[in-house]
Amino acid sequence: MSSSNSRAARSNSNVAPVIQVERVSRWFGNVVSVSDVSFEIRPGITGLLGPNGAGKTTLLRMITGLAEVSVGSISVFDQQVRNNPDIYSRIGVMSEHETVYQFMKGRDFVKMMGQLRGVSNIDAAADKAINLVDLAEASLRPMGTYSRGMRQRMRLAATIVHEPDILILDEPLNGADPRQRVQFQKLLLQLADEDKTIVLSSHILEEVEQLADTVLLIVNGKLAASGDFHAIRAALDERPYHVRVLCDSPRDLASALVKLESVDAVYIDPDGAIVVLSRNVRDLQIELPRLAQATSARVRRVEPLDDSLESVFGYLVER
Amino acid sequence: MVFVYKLTLRQLSGRWRLLITLLLSALPVTMGVIWRLIEGDARPDHEFEDFALNGMLAASIIPLVSLAIASAAFSNEIEDRTLANLTLSPIPRWKIVVPKLLGALTVGGFFMVISAFVTSYIAYSGDMTTSLAVAAGAAVEVALYSSVFILVGLMTTKAIGFGLLYVFLWEGLFAGFVSGVRFLSIRHYSVTIVNGLDDRVFTEGEHLSFAVALVASAAVFVIFLALSIHRLRRMDVP
Repeated sequence: MSSSNSRAARSNSNVAPVIQVERVSRWFGNVVSVSDVSFEIRPGITGLLGPNGAGKTTLLRMITGLAEVSVGSISVFDQQVRNNPDIYSRIGVMSEHETVYQFMKGRDFVKMMGQLRGVSNIDAAADKAINLVDLAEASLRPMGTYSRGMRQRMRLAATIVHEPDILILDEPLNGADPRQRVQFQKLLLQLADEDKTIVLSSHILEEVEQLADTVLLIVNGKLAASGDFHAIRAALDERPYHVRVLCDSPRDLASALVKLESVDAVYIDPDGAIVVLSRNVRDLQIELPRLAQATSARVRRVEPLDDSLESVFGYLVER
Repeated sequence: MVFVYKLTLRQLSGRWRLLITLLLSALPVTMGVIWRLIEGDARPDHEFEDFALNGMLAASIIPLVSLAIASAAFSNEIEDRTLANLTLSPIPRWKIVVPKLLGALTVGGFFMVISAFVTSYIAYSGDMTTSLAVAAGAAVEVALYSSVFILVGLMTTKAIGFGLLYVFLWEGLFAGFVSGVRFLSIRHYSVTIVNGLDDRVFTEGEHLSFAVALVASAAVFVIFLALSIHRLRRMDVP
């Protein structure tokens, strides 16, 4: 089954939600970290997307019971998580921090985590998890000698050693090289095909796009958008882009640009550069060289003004 | 529980921590040897007891070693964020706190009890009753301080600072000068227990009754252990 087909099969809203978050807020002193957030998570991969500092980690920490909610309620398998240790036999959590014991060998770490979670045939379970992350050769070395990517993979092995129904992964691809990323993604898709519920946080849009069936977009502690990734992607594609064009005759080129169908507005900034507002940057890319030639304008630089993730998220919040 | 205990032993057995503990344990033993070399077979007087056993061992070394080891049992894990590995496991919180405390007791108690025993064995010319009484007092003191400092390590990342204030201000200063405070002083419980087990030691000064010291010791140990379990249940784990 291809990954897109698998996604379609997994995106079934008739399946009962595994995680329910209802009107949850969390504040630290006067700072509101998460504000009145509600959503449900079903089996498959759900991406928790948002810029750094948006409140993703706090939200995940509340879902896993590591942090208390200030207001609202969270349930997993219809049970509360906080002060309910039994539920952790069904949950695997990998936090964004490198929570490893440097002195411990990788295999011993995975075994200990399995034993703490009540795995009976621990040697076989540890071998299986370590093989899944392809770290058998390094498993007898202390984790202090590992690269960051290796530590991440060994942590993932420790997270899945008890074969949990839910995997909660906070920025799991941090520090992984491209090859490890591909391997990681393959493994997560494989686990999702086994009907696991995977919640994956990231501040990188493309990372979530490649994996998640459903996206929860968190900005400034609020749920800015949620649902099918393609709907969110389409909304992103519709947003107007600001493009700055530096050339030697801005007035002539600006007059020509404003007539284009793909251009919403054009103005010249105080530095004499043209700023174009366009909802169809692809057309603009094609038309700009032609118009520059027609108006004999020598273009020195073309740059997007708002391609940062924050501006993308900001746009979705304002809609 | 055994995994948490083994993990704690490994975490608390850093080379520098063990070396410093070993050096501190050797200090009262050295005092015992000096006494024997100078005084021959004479039984130590209350000045030796006040200086080496009470002032050095009970008032300084045991609380400091217990502070360094017991507070680290949780505070190090909170600092490097590995505590979540334990709290995200399907085990009740007491099964995390108890082996952590036992681990701290094993590492700290091992050195302190041996130091107390060897010091008194040398100073009291091999008197087993006195040596065992002093060792028992040291064991009780390590247990009580450890249960207190485990909680401090769970409550603040500045456990060493708060612990030092407590040891020197409360146990050292107030308990030494304000007579009512000794009812709330771990050091006085320990000294009273030694005196209760062998009334030839710590004959000078006012003591609590042996029974009060035993009951108060048990109460302190259980109360602080329960508070630590409660704290681990309620706290946000980083």
